[in-house]
Amino acid sequence: MSTQPPATNARESTQHVVATVFREEWGRIVAALIHRTGDWDLAEECAQDAFTQALARWPSDGLPPRPGAWLMTVARNRAIDRLRHGNVRAAKLRQIAALAPAGATGPDEEAGVTDQLSPSEDSGVPDERLRLIFTCCHPAMAMEARVALTLRTLAGLTTAEIARAFLVPETTMAKRLVRAKQKIAHAGIPYRVPPASALPQRTSGVLAVLYLLFNEGYSASAGTELVRKSLCDDAVMLAGVLAELMPEEPEVKGLLALMMFHRSRQAARVDQQGDLVTLDAQDRAQWDQAAIEHAKQILDDAWAKNKPGPYQLQAAIAGCHALAPQAEMTDWPRIAKLYDQLLDMTGSPVVELNRAVAVAMADGPAVGLALVNELEASGALQQYYLLAATRADLLRRLGRRAEAASAYREALALVATGPEQRFLAARLAEVTG
Amino acid sequence: MQYMLIHVQPTDLDHEMGQTWQHDTSLTAWLEETIPSRVNLQGSRLRPSSDATTVRSRKGELLVTDGPFAETKEQLAGYDVLECADIDEAVRWASKHPSLQMGAIEVRPLLDSPPPMPLPVPKEGRMRYVLLVCLGEDFQMGPQDQAEMGPATDAWVHEMDGRGARLFGSQLEGPDRARTVRRRGTDLLVTDGPFAETKEQIAGFDVLECADLDEALEVAAKHPMAKFGMLELRPFWPPEEQ
Repeated sequence: MSTQPPATNARESTQHVVATVFREEWGRIVAALIHRTGDWDLAEECAQDAFTQALARWPSDGLPPRPGAWLMTVARNRAIDRLRHGNVRAAKLRQIAALAPAGATGPDEEAGVTDQLSPSEDSGVPDERLRLIFTCCHPAMAMEARVALTLRTLAGLTTAEIARAFLVPETTMAKRLVRAKQKIAHAGIPYRVPPASALPQRTSGVLAVLYLLFNEGYSASAGTELVRKSLCDDAVMLAGVLAELMPEEPEVKGLLALMMFHRSRQAARVDQQGDLVTLDAQDRAQWDQAAIEHAKQILDDAWAKNKPGPYQLQAAIAGCHALAPQAEMTDWPRIAKLYDQLLDMTGSPVVELNRAVAVAMADGPAVGLALVNELEASGALQQYYLLAATRADLLRRLGRRAEAASAYREALALVATGPEQRFLAARLAEVTG
Repeated sequence: MQYMLIHVQPTDLDHEMGQTWQHDTSLTAWLEETIPSRVNLQGSRLRPSSDATTVRSRKGELLVTDGPFAETKEQLAGYDVLECADIDEAVRWASKHPSLQMGAIEVRPLLDSPPPMPLPVPKEGRMRYVLLVCLGEDFQMGPQDQAEMGPATDAWVHEMDGRGARLFGSQLEGPDRARTVRRRGTDLLVTDGPFAETKEQIAGFDVLECADLDEALEVAAKHPMAKFGMLELRPFWPPEEQ
């Protein structure tokens, strides 16, 4: 039982509700307003105004029956208001007409906004987030601009939050966002879902942005833990929205499942010293079993489409790890097969290296070592420390300690700092000790 | 003969600069002198290089990147196509242009002077772009590609003209035939060669009119030179803001 006075309780619970509604509705409202007005700044400002009003009014007025519809109406009225009072040209005036559906209100009626919406009525605004996602992730913008714009307009992060997450000054991030919106307007980047002919390529572009976002949060290299974790959560949330809006596209679900499998291990992957714990040494009791089960369902759903792609394959591999009750029970032969398929699709030497690791686990270190040597002879991944580190590990497991030591030294020379270096140094001590 | 005046300006001037250009009465005077006399056939200010998009096609894959084809200190800011008796006359007109206060003008002959083509007013809801065809200096084409290039280009022009996506365009004479005009204080400096000694040089251009950037990208992707060079798409500065 709470002992807090009721007033504080109500305010706190309203703040909590607004925060929840914010996550669910921000992107939807911004997307709809951009669609109707073509004005990105206006859309953000009006969405912001609506949430500010909600915080001010909901504690005393009570929660409206449909908070999303309430917010949408306030934001829409605010936009109409702003456009009417602004220096608006004929073209914009025509857009105002489109912005206000039949019976919609001007600013005068704003006070009675909740009355116009019967409880059963939806916000009446179609979900335009798919347009927004594809526009934010347009290939004609630099990758960093795509990421920033996606976080700002779809996830509702402030410029300061995005700047913190990417370790740049806020002014730099603000400029980046202004530039990105300018490019959209000036270069004529359309606000729409691409036509079928361009959809596969553009969808994989969107997925790349979301995965980059996730990895930025997942890699423990920099930034505060909190900021990083929320980046992961935002990426998962956005992939969830995309999966909902593109239910026929199994790669979207594949990416969602992949990120969820990774995230399920978050609590176990760093020890108390802040060092990375390898998969086989992690405390599996700390893995989030509910999340793993959920991810598996999503992946099964994707597999059922029978259209495998790189994200589904990576998710299946992550799933093999996540579903093994103990490290020794990992289904390495299946992982090796999945890497085979992934290699066919991507031709990536990093995938080839991972495949060698899986083969080594399935068929023994000698077989794996042969594959690693082959890869090394091809000249790929020369400056990639994991190549030397993998060779070192396989040599160690084969008991060839002197060769292992020299490979560990090679790997150490390619790693600047951090947990990876400490890990390699410890292994080097092991084989030379 | 037709000549392209390629106006360039320092990249860091990109944003503020237009203001001075656009309200400059000397620009109006220059246009009033050149357009009615049919020396100036067409031209436009262009959006800055930060609004540019570059397209290449390699191994069947379309690569789209943000920004201009080369990160040079000076970037394209506008263009004009002039009809002149010879390059000296084109250089004379260039040397009177007020954009010299801010940057330089490269004067480049059009190959096989196409018929003079004043651009009509853009259709409602359509955007104009310049498509710059850029090639590396060491650009080499095999005999088979060379043989295919002519017909392929003709087919592209035919298709894009037919659907109203292309309004005008021409190959340019090589950069060795270019002259660049600069102003140093009150002195006028005319040098042989292009405005920048970059590895990539402009080899031709097309004026496109498209619904949006996606259509322009699609038009560019089909250009036969996309496989060999780089295609920069630069939006026109809209006429109402010029």
